[in-house]
Amino acid sequence: MIGRIVREVLLLCALAAAPAAITGYRELKLRPQTPLASGEVMLGDAQAWGDKAIWVDARPAPKFERKHIPGALSLNAETWDAQVARFLDAWDPEMRVIVYGERGDDAAPTVALRLREELKIPEVWVLHDGLDAWEGR
Amino acid sequence: MIIRSLLAFLAAATCARADLVWEKPVQEFHRVPDDGHLATKFAFKNTGPGTIKIKRVTSSCGCTSAKLAKNSFAPGESGEIEVKFTFGFRRGPQRKGISVTSDDKREWVLDLRVFIHEPLTLAPALVYWRVGDAADAKMVKLTTPADGTKVGVKSVTSSDPRVTATVQTVKAGGEYLVQIKPASTSAKLAAELTVTTDFPADAPRSYRIFARIK
Repeated sequence: MIGRIVREVLLLCALAAAPAAITGYRELKLRPQTPLASGEVMLGDAQAWGDKAIWVDARPAPKFERKHIPGALSLNAETWDAQVARFLDAWDPEMRVIVYGERGDDAAPTVALRLREELKIPEVWVLHDGLDAWEGR
Repeated sequence: MIIRSLLAFLAAATCARADLVWEKPVQEFHRVPDDGHLATKFAFKNTGPGTIKIKRVTSSCGCTSAKLAKNSFAPGESGEIEVKFTFGFRRGPQRKGISVTSDDKREWVLDLRVFIHEPLTLAPALVYWRVGDAADAKMVKLTTPADGTKVGVKSVTSSDPRVTATVQTVKAGGEYLVQIKPASTSAKLAAELTVTTDFPADAPRSYRIFARIK
């Protein structure tokens, strides 16, 4: 009797192992670290836009000075007034705007919202996971 | 016996995952700087058959606090996250993310959007034409917040004589229309239009409208 129960338990465990492994793999490898919020774009998709996109670094100026994505412009909430004219000089209506910050901060969503709401620029996207995604972290 | 056990096991495995359903996961507010802060609540309900434990609630900004009264929620139980956003120097559209993580590593991201309106709102603050477009006038609407603040527009001046602006008063102290027109769109151009106001009386503010021919 005990042997039969043990066999049934082992059989159930064996049957459950395969779907558990698949689910675990999907959760760990295939799912983004954080959910894709509205208005966000994954790094690969953003890179595919090539020269039809302008990259905007929304982090504070000292962080931009230390490192940034090559070709990106600095435009952040703290120094918006001083930087926005330069951004508009570089921007073209045919371009998509990709705004990035760092994973989990609000710098990029805030700058993106200002570009959409104040300037009515339609094609503004936030890079999912920001500079961390660019650096492969 | 084995088949029945297996079916019961699979059914339990499928259904046991608790879930949170949010009443309003995206919330939008309009405020003026003098309000200083915004407080709101994100209400939720555990609609799954199992108890859910909230492991962590974090905000994307030090300016925003998010609190949860307790961490464990039984099936059918409701709760709410209290959020407070302090404006500080921030103006214009602001977007704050509140991340909620359960002990089984699921994550929900709540979206708080707060528009901190200056005494005068420009809609839009950018007008542009493509090279070769018809040199038609474009309109910018200037409005004051709904709290009754009176802001008079004294003048609108252009940094470039090839772009002109005229102001039409819709409601004195409350609403104006600025008509912006380039002389020609045959070449690229960048100009700024400065809107001078009479508010506040001790240090009147001015605002910028950007005009571009691209």
